[in-house]
Amino acid sequence: MSDTRPQGQPDEAMVDLLIKQVTEGLSPAEQRALDVMDSELATAYLRDLERAAAGVTLAGSTGGEPLPEALSARIAQQAAEHFAAAEHSAQPSNVADLSEVRAAAAEKARVQPPLAPSPAPAPVRATRFGGYGWLAAAACLVLAIFGWERSPPPLPPVAVVAPPPVAPPPPAQPAPPTAAEERAALLAKTDTLKIPLGATKDPAAAGVSGDVVWDPVTQRGFLHFAGLAPNDPAIHQYQIWIFDAGRDKRYPVDGGVFDVPANAGEVVIPIRASLMVRKPAAFAVTVEKPGGVVVSGREHVVALGATS
Amino acid sequence: MSPSVLQRIASGDPAAVRECIDQYGPLVWSIARRLSRTPADAEDATQEIFLDIWRSASRFDASQGSDKVFIAMIARRRLIDRLRKTSAEPPMDPVEALETIAWADPGTACETSIEAEQATRALAELRPEQRQVLELGLLHGLSQTEIAARLSMPLGTVKSFMRRGLIKVREFMNVDAERVSARI
Repeated sequence: MSDTRPQGQPDEAMVDLLIKQVTEGLSPAEQRALDVMDSELATAYLRDLERAAAGVTLAGSTGGEPLPEALSARIAQQAAEHFAAAEHSAQPSNVADLSEVRAAAAEKARVQPPLAPSPAPAPVRATRFGGYGWLAAAACLVLAIFGWERSPPPLPPVAVVAPPPVAPPPPAQPAPPTAAEERAALLAKTDTLKIPLGATKDPAAAGVSGDVVWDPVTQRGFLHFAGLAPNDPAIHQYQIWIFDAGRDKRYPVDGGVFDVPANAGEVVIPIRASLMVRKPAAFAVTVEKPGGVVVSGREHVVALGATS
Repeated sequence: MSPSVLQRIASGDPAAVRECIDQYGPLVWSIARRLSRTPADAEDATQEIFLDIWRSASRFDASQGSDKVFIAMIARRRLIDRLRKTSAEPPMDPVEALETIAWADPGTACETSIEAEQATRALAELRPEQRQVLELGLLHGLSQTEIAARLSMPLGTVKSFMRRGLIKVREFMNVDAERVSARI
């Protein structure tokens, strides 16, 4: 075996997380904790642990039962479709197909809002088309990044921010400040950034306007907006992303997940950056699965705000 | 040395696809049956695993292990991902079936794969309760919390047994002889 593995031994916390990943999978929070560790070391050790787990699996899988004939036939059919599609996509004429896929994806997005409850994916006969769906998603991602880098979309006028409520007479035990009050306090500081937040073309984003307030010193911030479609937390959640000019733009910093209840009006959401943000370049909100994701596919970017 | 079935798939040999299904279908199916909640889930998972195999065949490196262990790794990844995405119900394997696990015999396990033999030898060096934790976690898909509840064992002990057991197997599966003869 070639030994190009990194030097050093993983610490106990890393080993525990890697073992959990190999045996039962990680929660989003655990995955985020692993992401900030030495990735080279983690990758090498994970590979070893996966091999070990596979070895145990093989040792305990003597005399496996035969694959059912119907299932075997479906797998063979699926393989034929997969390799035919792969061969087809390698041909230059496929450029036309990509535009068709884009058009189909746009039509699908128009017909089916992203936050509408959708049935669970059916992998049995949908894998080929799942591949096309991913292609469409990737195309959207490329467009999003391309548009982001070349010409940030014009942002609609920001809604007038309601002034913070007049403080009531001090009670005996003052209640903790609301997010709106904390945001207002942050705005009063001189170092605080205020960045307009605008909608994208995603159906869930229609009518979104607001801003992001961010204090680079304390690494605290708030998302303030109106017009974002309500979500069902059991199906989707919104997730905040911070693009740090000092980091690879493919991996923005996770700013936490949040929900929008029905008839929410103006909403103020605290941003909880999972990593230090040195130079915030942009903020984005995406629609993700419940609990959020470690790396967004950016299929549904519903709000964007960039520093000038 | 003739190319493995995965290398032939990667090079575009259509006969290798059918061969792979015939050769490794029973293995994938048996793993999927154990780590899925229902038979229908196991069928879906098996199809997804084979799709992953077609997509990953070009990344197979024979110097890193056998076809079999590569496929088992792909199967485990996919099944754990599916288990994580679904509810907290345990996989369909009833706990009564635990006794039915037949570990490969170290003397004959090389017929299945060198990695199975190495893992079997490592498992033989574990205490029975340590081996049981690995069985429940790796072969039956129980979480560490579920194992602790099933065995009335502190969670910390389960974590410790799982860690020591996997590290032991990992050492036996590394080709470095000095590491194989090492501690724990």
